[in-house]
Amino acid sequence: MTTPDLEYDRSLLDKEFPAGTFHVESERILAYCEAVGETDPIYTDEAAARRSGFRSLVAPPGFCNLLERASARPNIHLKFSGIGLHHWQAFESFAPIQAGDVLEAKTRLVNVYARPGRTGHSAVVVWETTFTNQEGSLVASVQSSFLTRPRPTAGGA
Amino acid sequence: MGHGDVRYAEDVQVGEKLGPLEKMLTTEMVTRFCQAWGNAMPNRFTDDEVARKDGLPAAIAPGAMTMAIVANLLTMWARNGQVRRLETLFRRPVRHNQQLRLVGEVRAKRVVEGEDQLECDVDLQQEDGETVVTGSAVLILPSRAGATPS
Repeated sequence: MTTPDLEYDRSLLDKEFPAGTFHVESERILAYCEAVGETDPIYTDEAAARRSGFRSLVAPPGFCNLLERASARPNIHLKFSGIGLHHWQAFESFAPIQAGDVLEAKTRLVNVYARPGRTGHSAVVVWETTFTNQEGSLVASVQSSFLTRPRPTAGGA
Repeated sequence: MGHGDVRYAEDVQVGEKLGPLEKMLTTEMVTRFCQAWGNAMPNRFTDDEVARKDGLPAAIAPGAMTMAIVANLLTMWARNGQVRRLETLFRRPVRHNQQLRLVGEVRAKRVVEGEDQLECDVDLQQEDGETVVTGSAVLILPSRAGATPS
Protein backbone atom coordinates (compact mmCIF):
# COMPACT_ATOMS: atom_id res chain seq x y z
CA MET A 1 0.00 0.00 0.00
CA THR A 2 1.56 3.31 -1.02
CA THR A 3 1.12 6.39 1.11
CA PRO A 4 -1.05 8.94 -0.68
CA ASP A 5 0.20 12.49 -1.06
CA LEU A 6 -2.21 14.64 0.91
CA GLU A 7 -3.36 17.82 -0.70
CA TYR A 8 -3.39 20.89 1.55
CA ASP A 9 -1.95 24.38 1.73
CA ARG A 10 1.70 23.54 2.38
CA SER A 11 2.69 27.20 2.58
CA LEU A 12 1.19 27.21 6.11
CA LEU A 13 3.56 24.55 7.46
CA ASP A 14 5.73 25.64 10.35
CA LYS A 15 4.58 29.27 10.34
CA GLU A 16 3.24 30.92 13.44
CA PHE A 17 -0.23 32.52 13.39
CA PRO A 18 -2.00 34.61 16.04
CA ALA A 19 -4.71 32.40 17.56
CA GLY A 20 -6.52 34.81 19.86
CA THR A 21 -6.27 36.76 23.10
CA PHE A 22 -7.82 35.15 26.16
CA HIS A 23 -8.85 37.09 29.25
CA VAL A 24 -8.91 34.39 31.90
CA GLU A 25 -11.98 35.06 34.02
CA SER A 26 -12.83 33.33 37.30
CA GLU A 27 -16.19 32.41 35.79
CA ARG A 28 -14.52 30.42 33.03
CA ILE A 29 -12.25 28.60 35.49
CA LEU A 30 -15.26 27.81 37.66
CA ALA A 31 -17.29 26.64 34.66
CA TYR A 32 -14.39 24.36 33.64
CA CYS A 33 -14.16 22.96 37.19
CA GLU A 34 -17.89 22.32 37.32
CA ALA A 35 -17.84 20.64 33.90
CA VAL A 36 -15.03 18.23 34.74
CA GLY A 37 -15.95 17.62 38.39
CA GLU A 38 -12.91 19.42 39.86
CA THR A 39 -13.60 20.36 43.49
CA ASP A 40 -10.18 21.23 44.95
CA PRO A 41 -10.60 24.66 46.64
CA ILE A 42 -7.46 26.16 45.05
CA TYR A 43 -9.31 25.90 41.73
CA THR A 44 -12.77 26.80 43.00
CA ASP A 45 -12.31 29.20 45.94
CA GLU A 46 -10.34 32.40 45.53
CA ALA A 47 -9.60 32.75 49.26
CA ALA A 48 -8.15 29.22 49.35
CA ALA A 49 -6.03 29.99 46.27
CA ARG A 50 -4.67 33.13 47.96
CA ARG A 51 -3.87 31.17 51.13
CA SER A 52 -1.82 28.83 48.92
CA GLY A 53 0.20 31.78 47.66
CA PHE A 54 -1.56 32.52 44.38
CA ARG A 55 -2.70 35.95 43.24
CA SER A 56 -6.20 34.68 42.40
CA LEU A 57 -8.06 31.55 41.38
CA VAL A 58 -5.76 29.02 39.70
CA ALA A 59 -6.76 27.14 36.56
CA PRO A 60 -6.57 23.33 36.96
CA PRO A 61 -4.07 21.44 34.80
CA GLY A 62 -5.76 20.90 31.45
CA PHE A 63 -7.53 24.26 31.41
CA CYS A 64 -5.14 25.28 28.59
CA ASN A 65 -6.81 22.54 26.50
CA LEU A 66 -10.10 24.42 26.73
CA LEU A 67 -8.42 27.61 25.50
CA GLU A 68 -6.69 25.64 22.78
CA ARG A 69 -10.05 24.35 21.56
CA ALA A 70 -11.37 27.91 21.56
CA SER A 71 -8.40 29.35 19.66
CA ALA A 72 -8.48 30.29 15.98
CA ARG A 73 -6.61 28.39 13.28
CA PRO A 74 -6.04 29.07 9.61
CA ASN A 75 -7.85 26.82 7.14
CA ILE A 76 -5.31 24.44 5.62
CA HIS A 77 -7.69 23.42 2.78
CA LEU A 78 -7.08 19.72 3.30
CA LYS A 79 -8.66 17.75 0.47
CA PHE A 80 -9.74 14.70 2.42
CA SER A 81 -13.22 13.86 3.57
CA GLY A 82 -14.37 11.42 6.21
CA ILE A 83 -14.99 11.13 9.92
CA GLY A 84 -13.03 13.67 11.95
CA LEU A 85 -11.71 12.52 15.32
CA HIS A 86 -9.51 13.96 18.00
CA HIS A 87 -6.61 11.53 17.94
CA TRP A 88 -3.91 12.63 20.36
CA GLN A 89 -3.09 15.58 22.59
CA ALA A 90 -0.26 16.73 24.82
CA PHE A 91 0.08 19.78 26.98
CA GLU A 92 3.00 21.21 28.87
CA SER A 93 2.54 23.60 31.72
CA PHE A 94 5.37 26.00 32.61
CA ALA A 95 3.70 28.42 35.02
CA PRO A 96 0.26 28.61 36.65
CA ILE A 97 -2.61 30.22 34.73
CA GLN A 98 -4.57 32.46 37.10
CA ALA A 99 -7.78 34.46 36.92
CA GLY A 100 -6.99 37.94 35.64
CA ASP A 101 -4.29 36.72 33.24
CA VAL A 102 -4.39 37.89 29.65
CA LEU A 103 -2.99 35.17 27.42
CA GLU A 104 -1.82 35.60 23.89
CA ALA A 105 -2.18 32.42 21.81
CA LYS A 106 -0.11 31.55 18.78
CA THR A 107 -0.51 28.47 16.66
CA ARG A 108 1.66 26.57 14.21
CA LEU A 109 0.88 23.76 11.78
CA VAL A 110 3.42 21.11 12.80
CA ASN A 111 2.67 18.23 10.49
CA VAL A 112 0.15 16.71 8.08
CA TYR A 113 0.55 13.06 7.24
CA ALA A 114 -1.26 9.98 5.99
CA ARG A 115 -1.65 7.12 8.44
CA PRO A 116 -2.42 3.61 7.26
CA GLY A 117 -5.39 1.84 8.88
CA ARG A 118 -7.77 -1.09 8.42
CA THR A 119 -10.19 0.89 6.28
CA GLY A 120 -7.56 2.75 4.24
CA HIS A 121 -5.44 5.78 4.95
CA SER A 122 -6.45 8.49 7.35
CA ALA A 123 -5.21 12.07 7.27
CA VAL A 124 -3.62 13.41 10.46
CA VAL A 125 -3.15 17.12 11.14
CA VAL A 126 -0.96 18.25 14.05
CA TRP A 127 -1.04 21.76 15.56
CA GLU A 128 0.98 23.36 18.32
CA THR A 129 -0.50 26.28 20.24
CA THR A 130 1.39 28.32 22.81
CA PHE A 131 0.06 30.67 25.48
CA THR A 132 2.06 33.64 26.76
CA ASN A 133 0.84 35.76 29.65
CA GLN A 134 0.81 39.54 30.19
CA GLU A 135 4.31 39.36 31.70
CA GLY A 136 5.67 37.75 28.57
CA SER A 137 6.10 34.31 30.19
CA LEU A 138 5.25 31.20 28.25
CA VAL A 139 2.67 29.47 30.49
CA ALA A 140 1.51 26.51 28.41
CA SER A 141 1.99 24.72 25.15
CA VAL A 142 -0.57 22.36 23.63
CA GLN A 143 -0.04 19.94 20.77
CA SER A 144 -3.06 18.28 19.27
CA SER A 145 -3.56 15.86 16.48
CA PHE A 146 -6.82 15.40 14.57
CA LEU A 147 -7.47 12.45 12.37
CA THR A 148 -9.87 12.18 9.45
CA ARG A 149 -10.80 8.57 8.76
CA PRO A 150 -12.43 7.51 5.51
CA ARG A 151 -16.12 6.65 5.94
CA PRO A 152 -16.83 2.93 5.70
CA THR A 153 -18.17 1.96 2.27
CA ALA A 154 -21.79 0.75 2.03
CA GLY A 155 -22.11 -2.87 3.16
CA GLY A 156 -19.15 -2.51 5.53
CA ALA A 157 -15.45 -2.87 4.95
CA MET B 1 -14.87 15.08 51.14
CA GLY B 2 -11.10 14.93 50.57
CA HIS B 3 -9.35 16.81 47.83
CA GLY B 4 -6.49 14.43 47.39
CA ASP B 5 -3.34 13.45 49.20
CA VAL B 6 -0.15 15.33 49.94
CA ARG B 7 2.91 13.48 48.73
CA TYR B 8 6.64 14.09 48.69
CA ALA B 9 9.13 12.79 46.17
CA GLU B 10 11.11 10.81 48.78
CA ASP B 11 8.06 8.73 49.69
CA VAL B 12 7.22 7.54 46.19
CA GLN B 13 8.47 4.25 44.76
CA VAL B 14 8.65 3.28 41.10
CA GLY B 15 5.81 0.81 40.48
CA GLU B 16 3.46 2.59 42.87
CA LYS B 17 -0.15 2.69 41.65
CA LEU B 18 -2.28 5.80 41.20
CA GLY B 19 -5.99 5.40 41.78
CA PRO B 20 -8.28 3.81 40.91
CA LEU B 21 -10.46 6.90 40.70
CA GLU B 22 -14.08 6.51 39.59
CA LYS B 23 -15.58 9.32 37.51
CA MET B 24 -18.59 9.92 35.33
CA LEU B 25 -18.98 12.49 32.58
CA THR B 26 -22.68 13.25 32.44
CA THR B 27 -24.50 14.90 29.54
CA GLU B 28 -24.98 17.92 31.80
CA MET B 29 -21.20 18.18 32.43
CA VAL B 30 -20.48 17.87 28.70
CA THR B 31 -22.98 20.65 27.96
CA ARG B 32 -21.35 22.84 30.60
CA PHE B 33 -17.95 22.14 29.06
CA CYS B 34 -19.13 23.14 25.58
CA GLN B 35 -20.51 26.38 27.05
CA ALA B 36 -17.16 27.19 28.72
CA TRP B 37 -15.40 26.30 25.46
CA GLY B 38 -17.78 28.47 23.41
CA ASN B 39 -18.63 25.67 21.01
CA ALA B 40 -21.98 26.06 19.22
CA MET B 41 -24.59 23.50 20.26
CA PRO B 42 -26.08 21.11 19.39
CA ASN B 43 -22.89 19.35 18.36
CA ARG B 44 -21.44 15.83 18.32
CA PHE B 45 -20.69 16.15 22.04
CA THR B 46 -24.20 17.08 23.13
CA ASP B 47 -26.51 15.50 20.57
CA ASP B 48 -26.79 11.86 19.45
CA GLU B 49 -28.25 12.81 16.08
CA VAL B 50 -25.40 15.19 15.19
CA ALA B 51 -22.91 12.57 16.42
CA ARG B 52 -24.43 9.91 14.12
CA LYS B 53 -24.20 12.25 11.15
CA ASP B 54 -20.50 12.64 12.05
CA GLY B 55 -20.14 8.85 11.89
CA LEU B 56 -20.10 8.27 15.66
CA PRO B 57 -22.38 5.81 17.48
CA ALA B 58 -23.71 8.46 19.89
CA ALA B 59 -22.76 11.77 21.53
CA ILE B 60 -19.27 11.60 23.00
CA ALA B 61 -17.24 13.43 25.64
CA PRO B 62 -14.67 15.88 24.20
CA GLY B 63 -11.06 14.67 24.35
CA ALA B 64 -10.12 17.71 26.41
CA MET B 65 -12.66 16.56 29.03
CA THR B 66 -11.33 13.04 29.25
CA MET B 67 -7.86 14.59 29.56
CA ALA B 68 -9.13 16.77 32.40
CA ILE B 69 -10.20 13.76 34.45
CA VAL B 70 -6.90 12.03 33.71
CA ALA B 71 -5.22 15.17 35.13
CA ASN B 72 -7.57 14.86 38.09
CA LEU B 73 -6.20 11.37 38.83
CA LEU B 74 -2.75 12.98 39.16
CA THR B 75 -3.88 15.90 41.33
CA MET B 76 -5.97 13.61 43.58
CA TRP B 77 -3.00 11.34 44.04
CA ALA B 78 -0.71 14.28 44.86
CA ARG B 79 -2.59 17.52 45.36
CA ASN B 80 0.68 19.34 46.07
CA GLY B 81 2.18 18.12 42.79
CA GLN B 82 2.32 19.98 39.50
CA VAL B 83 1.36 18.37 36.22
CA ARG B 84 4.24 19.46 34.00
CA ARG B 85 3.24 17.42 30.97
CA LEU B 86 0.34 15.18 30.01
CA GLU B 87 0.01 13.29 26.79
CA THR B 88 -3.00 11.19 25.82
CA LEU B 89 -4.00 9.02 22.92
CA PHE B 90 -7.76 8.89 22.34
CA ARG B 91 -8.21 5.25 21.37
CA ARG B 92 -12.00 5.12 21.37
CA PRO B 93 -14.79 7.69 21.58
CA VAL B 94 -16.03 7.98 25.18
CA ARG B 95 -19.80 7.92 25.70
CA HIS B 96 -21.52 10.01 28.38
CA ASN B 97 -23.10 8.76 31.61
CA GLN B 98 -21.01 5.67 32.19
CA GLN B 99 -18.81 4.71 35.10
CA LEU B 100 -15.24 5.53 34.10
CA ARG B 101 -12.20 4.28 35.93
CA LEU B 102 -8.82 6.00 36.04
CA VAL B 103 -5.67 4.13 36.91
CA GLY B 104 -1.98 4.92 36.76
CA GLU B 105 1.48 3.77 37.72
CA VAL B 106 4.77 5.48 38.51
CA ARG B 107 7.21 4.34 35.83
CA ALA B 108 10.29 6.39 36.63
CA LYS B 109 11.70 8.89 39.08
CA ARG B 110 14.34 11.44 38.25
CA VAL B 111 15.74 14.80 39.26
CA VAL B 112 15.92 17.37 36.45
CA GLU B 113 17.48 20.75 37.22
CA GLY B 114 16.75 20.31 40.91
CA GLU B 115 13.13 19.25 40.32
CA ASP B 116 11.79 15.88 41.40
CA GLN B 117 9.96 14.48 38.40
CA LEU B 118 7.83 11.36 38.20
CA GLU B 119 6.98 9.74 34.91
CA CYS B 120 3.56 8.08 35.18
CA ASP B 121 1.45 5.94 32.89
CA VAL B 122 -2.24 6.79 32.98
CA ASP B 123 -5.28 4.99 31.58
CA LEU B 124 -8.96 5.73 31.36
CA GLN B 125 -11.14 2.62 31.23
CA GLN B 126 -14.79 2.52 30.32
CA GLU B 127 -17.36 0.40 32.14
CA ASP B 128 -16.61 -2.82 30.19
CA GLY B 129 -12.95 -2.50 31.22
CA GLU B 130 -11.64 -1.42 27.82
CA THR B 131 -8.94 1.27 27.89
CA VAL B 132 -10.36 4.17 25.86
CA VAL B 133 -7.74 6.81 26.63
CA THR B 134 -4.11 6.01 27.40
CA GLY B 135 -1.23 8.31 28.13
CA SER B 136 1.72 9.39 30.18
CA ALA B 137 2.46 12.29 32.47
CA VAL B 138 5.33 14.13 34.07
CA LEU B 139 4.46 15.14 37.59
CA ILE B 140 6.65 17.40 39.72
CA LEU B 141 6.57 16.65 43.44
CA PRO B 142 8.05 18.75 46.22
CA SER B 143 10.72 17.07 48.31
CA ARG B 144 10.53 16.80 52.08
CA ALA B 145 13.98 18.37 52.21
CA GLY B 146 12.74 21.50 50.45
CA ALA B 147 9.27 21.63 52.00
CA THR B 148 8.31 24.65 54.06
CA PRO B 149 6.24 23.73 57.11
CA SER B 150 2.68 24.97 56.82
